[in-house]
Amino acid sequence: MQELWAQRDTRPTTTYTRPPPAVMTTPEATKPLSPIKEPPRPSKPNFARLYAKPFPLNTYPLPPLIPHNAFSVLHIAFTYIYHHIARASSHPKIPYQAYFSPETRSIHVTDQVAIRALWESGFFGKGSLSRSEPTWLDREKRRRGLLANETSEEVTRQRREERKKFKKERARKEREAIEEKLKEEEQSKQNSGIATRTARARYEGIDGGPVESLAKSIEPLIAEEPTNFSDLPPMVITKQNGVIEEKNPTATPSQLPNSAATPTQWTLEPEAAAITNQEQLHLTPSEAFFLAYGLGVLQILDPKTHHPLTISALFTLFRQTSYFPPRQFPTLSPDDPFLVDYITYHHFRSLGWVVRPGIKFAVDWLLYLRGPVFSHAEFAVTVIPAYRHPYWRSSEALKQETLKKERKTWWWLHCLNRVQSQVRKSLVLVYVEVPPPSALATCHAGDTGVVDIGRFFKTYKVRELTLKRWIPNRERD
Amino acid sequence: MPASNPPTAPDLPFPVFQVSSQVERYLLYDINTISWLRKTHNILGVLIGTLPQIPQQNIFLGLPLELQPEETRLLVEKGLAYTVNDLDRHTQDLASQTPDQIESIRADLYRDGMELARELERNKQEQTREALKKLRSNSSSTTNSDSTAGPDPQTQDSASETTLFDSPSTKEPTQTKPTINPKPWTITPTTSYPPLSRPPVPLFPVLPKVNPSSYALFAHLHGKGYFITPGIRFGCHFSVYPGDPLRFHSHFLAMSAEWDEEISLLDLVGGGRLGTGVKKGWLIGGVEEKEGEGGDGGDQAEKDKEKSGGAGVRTFCIEWGGM
Repeated sequence: MQELWAQRDTRPTTTYTRPPPAVMTTPEATKPLSPIKEPPRPSKPNFARLYAKPFPLNTYPLPPLIPHNAFSVLHIAFTYIYHHIARASSHPKIPYQAYFSPETRSIHVTDQVAIRALWESGFFGKGSLSRSEPTWLDREKRRRGLLANETSEEVTRQRREERKKFKKERARKEREAIEEKLKEEEQSKQNSGIATRTARARYEGIDGGPVESLAKSIEPLIAEEPTNFSDLPPMVITKQNGVIEEKNPTATPSQLPNSAATPTQWTLEPEAAAITNQEQLHLTPSEAFFLAYGLGVLQILDPKTHHPLTISALFTLFRQTSYFPPRQFPTLSPDDPFLVDYITYHHFRSLGWVVRPGIKFAVDWLLYLRGPVFSHAEFAVTVIPAYRHPYWRSSEALKQETLKKERKTWWWLHCLNRVQSQVRKSLVLVYVEVPPPSALATCHAGDTGVVDIGRFFKTYKVRELTLKRWIPNRERD
Repeated sequence: MPASNPPTAPDLPFPVFQVSSQVERYLLYDINTISWLRKTHNILGVLIGTLPQIPQQNIFLGLPLELQPEETRLLVEKGLAYTVNDLDRHTQDLASQTPDQIESIRADLYRDGMELARELERNKQEQTREALKKLRSNSSSTTNSDSTAGPDPQTQDSASETTLFDSPSTKEPTQTKPTINPKPWTITPTTSYPPLSRPPVPLFPVLPKVNPSSYALFAHLHGKGYFITPGIRFGCHFSVYPGDPLRFHSHFLAMSAEWDEEISLLDLVGGGRLGTGVKKGWLIGGVEEKEGEGGDGGDQAEKDKEKSGGAGVRTFCIEWGGM
């Protein structure tokens, strides 16, 4: 039993390296990994196992106090005693390390173990060379023919190609249908001898009826096929005596540049196997602060001195850099963009959502139920600071400034709402009620002058409002 | 009646009715003016009227037409229209009518109603006669086709001729009868001017208040021959059509901005996605501020003047690349 416990204890450190696609194993069946090798499956890896942990922390659930037999009583007693004597730490022995980059106002993780850990348990950050998951190494290997799996970027590209082909085909069919119809109408016109004034006929003379203009506007979009320029022999166009001639200087097939030959020679090179991973993980300040302050698993280093920054130093630094250009300390206020964003981030993370930046959908955050690999984001969160405290309207100048900050146009809302309904997400407006600046002054821990961040955060309130475009004609059941 | 005719140019300048001094909404009631504006000046406006019986109606709306403040301003600046405070003017004009004038208006309405009723009656009878004629000729043709087997075609023909000849003579008294007393229709005038006499043109036209940047963009696009409708439901200031919206899809979703206005990056992403998602371009435009011009309030008026013509407007189109 002790052996089993030790086995479970060490498990988390080994899961950081990506396990091979394996069959689902229940937590009870954690035997030493059996020597039976699974044949490599082309299907997707077991996400439920790979992304089992919601946070980069380890939990050690105690067994229930139900003795099934004599041995289980012993086991339970041993586990509880062991837990009281030497409690296993939830945190990694050495916290993950990251650098603050003042130029990009983001936090960079360079250690590959940390990158995998942060991505796989909680979906933190974004690969610097990838769309979201740091997959550059896999893609690079695949490009050189060393790996057979497909990364999500490649799947997307393939899907886009297919969609483009489909659209081209559809436009062709539409065009054919229009021509067919025109022919038909022409015939019927000749047969009957009467000019049929259909709506179609009226548009004929005009450049672009409703159908045609649409088809035409699609055409250039799909016509631009990606041409592989290296495949084409160079053309020389010469104008002689008003006659344009097209010459192909390398007309003989043997002279054609063999574009396929070069990459294969490349991939065969033996040193291709030793690719250094050049990818980093980029964290937003909110994500990094949550990992450092909320979970305590991340240590953020100063880029110059390489010394770890304290939580209160980070707190001030992120608040300063959330403005452009960065502001100095005295001008900071409780509605700094970083604070408002972080409050929302922390709020939804603590409710169990996987929160990721939503800039591609023009919102602040996207909420995933379990993570981006499992399903699409369900909610798009946009953060709006709210100023309900009487302080914000105490003087005329302050009132004007507050009104200006609060003002959002209807156009903005409609635009946002349309964009979200195009991608089938529910728009959530999150109002963060900002406390007056005096709240920060009262939140000092003791007389040390250090801000008690937890107490300060408690002075904020979060309200959520879900919004939907409701069309009575379409939503009738 | 007048809607089916091609629109004729109204007496210029024509009045545009501002609901009241507090409410900055501009309405047009005359169908002829509305169609004329649409046909010759690319001004669309939005029809906002519902039928009194169906107030929940929200598509296929009718008169009156609401003009955007930008449209109204453009018309006033071009000298085509002038604004009239509808509430004040209407109450004042109604109160100042003498009993004789009121009586003459009533008489006019009665006369128009009577004319309408007569015309309708005439049409009705025309239709009845046509129908009867058709019936007769049908029956005669069937009898004709039967007549090959029938006794004598000559007698048949003569019989049908007599009936044809007889029919107008029998109808004649009924045709003259309705001119005596059809019940007159009740007419509710859709415009106040006429029957009232037109409000006077002010010496100094009152310009509707508009957002300077959005008006400059509007004037610029209108000057290029585009048709423009309000774009609030798409989340932009204007949706811009290359021709009449009945025939074309819109090409651009236009948003206006000040030259030095800070635009949030998220708004750009949202706009780009919004346009590309519906195969349109998201267009952002504003008046370019030349160097050395900004600053003093002294040349503010000049700047406004420049803006009002839509001069110096630069536009940019943004598309979302990854879709």
